Amino acid sequence: MNSDFLKQAVEDVPSIKAVFITAMPDCLLFGSWLRADSSWSEDQVATYFGDLFRANREGLKALGSWSSEMQVTIESPDNLVILHELSSDFVCACVFERSAALGMVRLHTQRLLERIRGSLPTFEAEERPRGVRVLEFLNRYAPDPHAVLLRVSLRTKLPMELISSPEQLSPSQVSQVEETACGILGLPSLNI
Amino acid sequence: MSNFKDHSKELIEQNLKTLGGTPYVYHCHHFNLFHDQTVEDALGQAEAFTVRSRAAQKMATQLIGNLIQSSGASNPVERLQLAKALFAWMGQGGLDLLVDGSGGKVRGDALHYSFAWREKYGSKVKRSAPIDAFAAGFAAAATELAFDLPSGSLAASESACYACREPFCDLDVATASGDAPALDAVSVDEDVIMKHVVQPGTGLEESRIAQITQGLNEFLLGVDGDQRGLVQGFGIFITRHLSGYYDQTAYDTIHMIEKTAPQATAAVEELFGESGHVCVFNTFGNLLLSPEWEGMVGPVKGEVEEIVTSCAAIARALGFGHWTVEELKPGERLVMRSTSNYEFPFYLENYGRSDKSRCYFFANASRAFMQLAHRVDWPSKPELTQDLYQELFKGDVGWQTEETLCRCKGDDCCEVVVTKK
Repeated sequence: MNSDFLKQAVEDVPSIKAVFITAMPDCLLFGSWLRADSSWSEDQVATYFGDLFRANREGLKALGSWSSEMQVTIESPDNLVILHELSSDFVCACVFERSAALGMVRLHTQRLLERIRGSLPTFEAEERPRGVRVLEFLNRYAPDPHAVLLRVSLRTKLPMELISSPEQLSPSQVSQVEETACGILGLPSLNI
Repeated sequence: MSNFKDHSKELIEQNLKTLGGTPYVYHCHHFNLFHDQTVEDALGQAEAFTVRSRAAQKMATQLIGNLIQSSGASNPVERLQLAKALFAWMGQGGLDLLVDGSGGKVRGDALHYSFAWREKYGSKVKRSAPIDAFAAGFAAAATELAFDLPSGSLAASESACYACREPFCDLDVATASGDAPALDAVSVDEDVIMKHVVQPGTGLEESRIAQITQGLNEFLLGVDGDQRGLVQGFGIFITRHLSGYYDQTAYDTIHMIEKTAPQATAAVEELFGESGHVCVFNTFGNLLLSPEWEGMVGPVKGEVEEIVTSCAAIARALGFGHWTVEELKPGERLVMRSTSNYEFPFYLENYGRSDKSRCYFFANASRAFMQLAHRVDWPSKPELTQDLYQELFKGDVGWQTEETLCRCKGDDCCEVVVTKK
């Protein structure tokens, strides 16, 4: 997404610190705007918020109370974060100064989201190979990310060259890798 | 017997340590967990537990047996008390041995592996398999020796583990099943070490390294555990650990992979090597930043030569062997040599000569020296967090390491060459 557009879109929004638009289901950064004094890693933030939103959606579905209109509000010591689903393909995270009044933040967020929503492309989302997504997920959440690919290679007994090119994994190898990822993370299944 | 210091011996020229005639080293929980995790990744959790506990049992039999003999502990109660005190002195945690001649129950409280695992990983991942294989093997060995049973006749398992969110660890000692691996590794003692090591050499800054080593030796020997039997300091849990345990579990695992899944050999070797990075970053790094270091050596300036030679001194003091700095060109190259370390004597004694180099720890620790020397801003006293670790060691480290000479191959010494990529 054109960053000039986001720059214009936030111009009259007080106390805003950053906007991240995440493309789902792969949780990849689609567009962002950050205040000049920010040192955040846009890719990282977009990815984690994508995962968070997806987990939240699944949780609410399990409660039978999910709606595409819902949003997540996070009040951390420094920031006020609002996550909102723009469409089935995009999630937006707006980060405000913590001192901003919640009512004003909600109001401005609603206006901002309308502007952004109108400029989003419509397309048929193409999922990347599952093996790629499994290893990306593992890289994000494994306790020792520096060694995680080696661990997958050792657990699956698949050579490192193959683990390093996950798009080339066969379906049975993807299953093996996914089972290994669950084992490393201590999860019954991966929410990807 | 509670003063085990008197039974600790320095093989001064070789910078190796023995306790009751059994080689030991200092390693932190980051290294211990990573090492054992690699064994688990290779063998699966259940088989890894068996391999690790039997290795622990073998090495602990030598250690406890020798100490029982030298202390004159003559009855089961005295012998079990000795084992319990020894376990705590090693920083391995608290063991309550409720056993008789047929085995029994052992309650573990604050065991090093499960306690440290939960501290490090507990909030991130859920564990379902028990982890205290070292304690299990140690408990089985202690029970056999207390009741004069044949070595290897008992085996221990863990039915409840703190790492799996149980309040305590429960170990069960019972008659070993027929398919339990035999305790057939050859124990390494001082005679075996001296058979395989060679005359120590000298390298750069020898007098500085030797002086620091001596100071650290005295300091480390005085370090005592807390009431839990854990030794906590410099942001790490440190253990006095049996080097034979690391050697047997690593080499048996690597050999198994070489034989049954050769395509994964590079991964298993790299992971055991990676534990060298883990150790240097956490133990060496935190020691360099400690007030004790500042008091003993002075504040760290952060010069490459200073960091590398300091690391060589730390390696010697931790009982890793006589490591010398042969050549150092900042930004370009480091050549380290060892005439003794805790890897090759065990390898040669148990497996014979190898057609390739086998000192995985030495090779990768040397690479980590260069990374710490060039990439850490020491004067700012950074906190050595896991985030910083990822920054320094995830992906391409920027240094290539190769063990160009190895006693396991029949060379005169072990030599590691680290070069800038």
